[in-house]
Amino acid sequence: MLDQALESLKTYEWGVEPKAVQSIQDAVVASHGDAAARKKLESTLAEVLGTDLPRAAKDTVCRALKTIGTAHSVPALAKLLHDEELSHMARHALEANDSPEAVKALVGAIDKAPKKIKIGIISSLGARGVGVPVAPLAKALSDKDADISTAGALALGAIGSADAVKALGSAKVTDTNKIAVCDAMLQCAENMLAHGKKSGAKAIYGTVLKIGPTEAAKIAADLGIKASA
Amino acid sequence: MKTTRRKFLSSSGAATAALGFPSIIPSSALGNADRPAPSNRIVMGGIGIGNMGRGDHGAFLGKNDVQYVAICDVRKGAMNQGKAKTDAKYGNKDCKAHDDYREILSRDDIDAVHIATPDHWHAQMIIEACRHGKDVFCQKPESLTLGEGSLMVETARRYGRVVSGGSQRVLQDYKGTVLRCWNGSYGKVKSINVNVGPMSKPCNLPPENVPGDMNWEMWLGPAPWAPYNSKRCSGSFSTSGNSWRSYIDYSGGGMTDWGAHHFGGATFAVDVRELQPKEVILDEKDGKKFVSLRYPNGMEITHNKPGVGQMHVGRDNEQREGKEVPKYAGSGGITGDFIDCVKTRNKPFRDIEFAINTMAVPHLATIAYKLNRSLKWDSAKQQFIDDAEADRLRDRARREPWQI
Repeated sequence: MLDQALESLKTYEWGVEPKAVQSIQDAVVASHGDAAARKKLESTLAEVLGTDLPRAAKDTVCRALKTIGTAHSVPALAKLLHDEELSHMARHALEANDSPEAVKALVGAIDKAPKKIKIGIISSLGARGVGVPVAPLAKALSDKDADISTAGALALGAIGSADAVKALGSAKVTDTNKIAVCDAMLQCAENMLAHGKKSGAKAIYGTVLKIGPTEAAKIAADLGIKASA
Repeated sequence: MKTTRRKFLSSSGAATAALGFPSIIPSSALGNADRPAPSNRIVMGGIGIGNMGRGDHGAFLGKNDVQYVAICDVRKGAMNQGKAKTDAKYGNKDCKAHDDYREILSRDDIDAVHIATPDHWHAQMIIEACRHGKDVFCQKPESLTLGEGSLMVETARRYGRVVSGGSQRVLQDYKGTVLRCWNGSYGKVKSINVNVGPMSKPCNLPPENVPGDMNWEMWLGPAPWAPYNSKRCSGSFSTSGNSWRSYIDYSGGGMTDWGAHHFGGATFAVDVRELQPKEVILDEKDGKKFVSLRYPNGMEITHNKPGVGQMHVGRDNEQREGKEVPKYAGSGGITGDFIDCVKTRNKPFRDIEFAINTMAVPHLATIAYKLNRSLKWDSAKQQFIDDAEADRLRDRARREPWQI
C-alpha cells in the first residue's frame, strides 16, 4: 500500500483524489514506536522530496515529515526553503522538527531569502522559541524594511528571553514597527512575571510607556505595572 | 517559556471578572435623537460579511448603541452588499468598504470588530485586533489549533480586551440539560456525551478560474497555498466536501464546527468551562472508536460513545443544592451580551478563555484519533505529557507573510 502511494506521488497533481496518497499518513501512524520503520519511512520521504514531483505531492510529503521528521530529513527540507512555492510547507515540517539541525537550517536560510520568505522563516523561528539564537532575529529587528523589522520583533517577543529583551530595548522604534515592538516587550515582561521577576517586568513595562506607545500598548503596560506591584 | 504565561494571566487583574480599562468611545460617531449619545455608542466594523457574517452584521447593525462604520470582505459582492445594507440603515454613504482587514484595524475611530471569516483566519485577526486595541466578537469555532488558542487568550488578556466567541447555541439549544445540571435535580453529575463529526480531511480539489470579484490570496491568508476551487472556499454548512468546513487547512470539520456548539453546551452544562481536559482516552466498542476526555476535577466528556445519546448526562439523580445559571448580560442574545460587556468591561458569556477551553476538547480528541492513541495533556504548559510527536500537532506554520 505504501509503495503504491509513493508511486502515486509522481502524478499527484491538484485534482487527484487524496485517497491515492493516504497510505503515507497511515504509515506515519502505524510506525509509531517502531524506530527502524520510522527511520526507513523518513529516509524514503526525504529522498522523494528531492525528485521531480508535482507541488501537491511535495506538500503531502512535507505534511508527513511534520510528524516524523528528525535531523535526517532536514537537508532535504532545507533545500526547499528558498523555493517560492514550497518554502511554507518546508517550514511546516521544520518548525515542528525538534532537532537543533532544523533551527540551524532555518537560521542559515534567512540572509539569502527574498523578503516574503525571510518573514516566513523568522516567523517559524519565533514560533519554535526553544533553542533559537536571538542574534539573527535581532538583526531582522534592525532591518530598514518595516515588515522584516516587525517580523523580527514578534519573533523575539515569542522567545521572550533576557537576550530578546536586550535586543528589543535597543531597537529603533518607528511608526511602522511600534505595535510589534511594544507587543514583543509586553510578552517578555509577562515571561518575567511568570518567573517571579516583578522588578524586571516592571522595568520593561516602564520602557514600553517611554516609547510613546499606542493607546492599546499603554493600556497593556498599565495593566502589567499593576500586576508587577 | 510561553506556556507559563497563562499562570501570570490567570493571576493578574486582567483575568478577573472585569477586564480593567474602559473602552474609549470616540465622539465622532454620528446619530440622531432616538439613539444613545455618540459617546455611549460602540463604533464597529465587520470582517467577513458573507454567510454567518451577514447575520452578525444584521444583529449589530440593529442595535441602537452601535454605530457601524466599516465592512471588509475578500469578495467584492459581499463587501458591496454589506456597505449598501449599512448605508441604507443610516440613510447615508458613510460606511467604508475594505478588502483588507488591516485597514479596519488601523482605524482609530473603531472600537470593536466582529469576525466571521473561515476558521484559519480567526487567530490572526483576533490577535492583531487586540494589539490595535479593538474589542472582538468572533464566530465559532474560535480556534483552528491548540497552539493558537492559548495565544489568543494571552493577547486578549494582555491588552485588557473584551473578546467574545460566537456560539449562540450554548445557551439556546441545551437549556433543559443545563438547568437540570445546575439546579441540582440531576444530582452528582459525572459525565456528558457529545455526538458530532466528521473530522476534516485533506483537500486536493482541481484548479478553477478565480472569480473576478475575489481576492484569492487574501482568502487563503495564513493557510497553505492551493488553487482556487469553488467548493474549497464555499461557506455552505456542509462538512462532506462541499465547503471549506470540510477541509483540514481551514477547519476541523463538523468535529469543531458543530462541535463548538455541542462541546460548548456540554462544558457549560457540567461546568468545566474554566478547565481543559488532562487526558484523552481512545477506546473502542462494537468496532467503533470513541474518546473519553477526563478533567482534573474528575468530570468526563465522551465523544461519539456507542449507544449513548447526544448530551446524555451521567448522574446519580440524588437532588443536590443548585446554583444560579449564568446568563447573557444586556439584551439581544449573545451579540447584546458582547456590546454590554464592551461598555462594562466585564467578561462576556463566551469569553475567549471559555471558548478556547471548549475548543481544546475537539482539538485534543482529533489529535488522539489521528495518532490512534490515548494522550495526556498538561493544560498549564499547553503540552502533551511525554509525547513529543503529539506536541507537533498543536499548531501549524503560517504561510508567509502571516505571523502572530
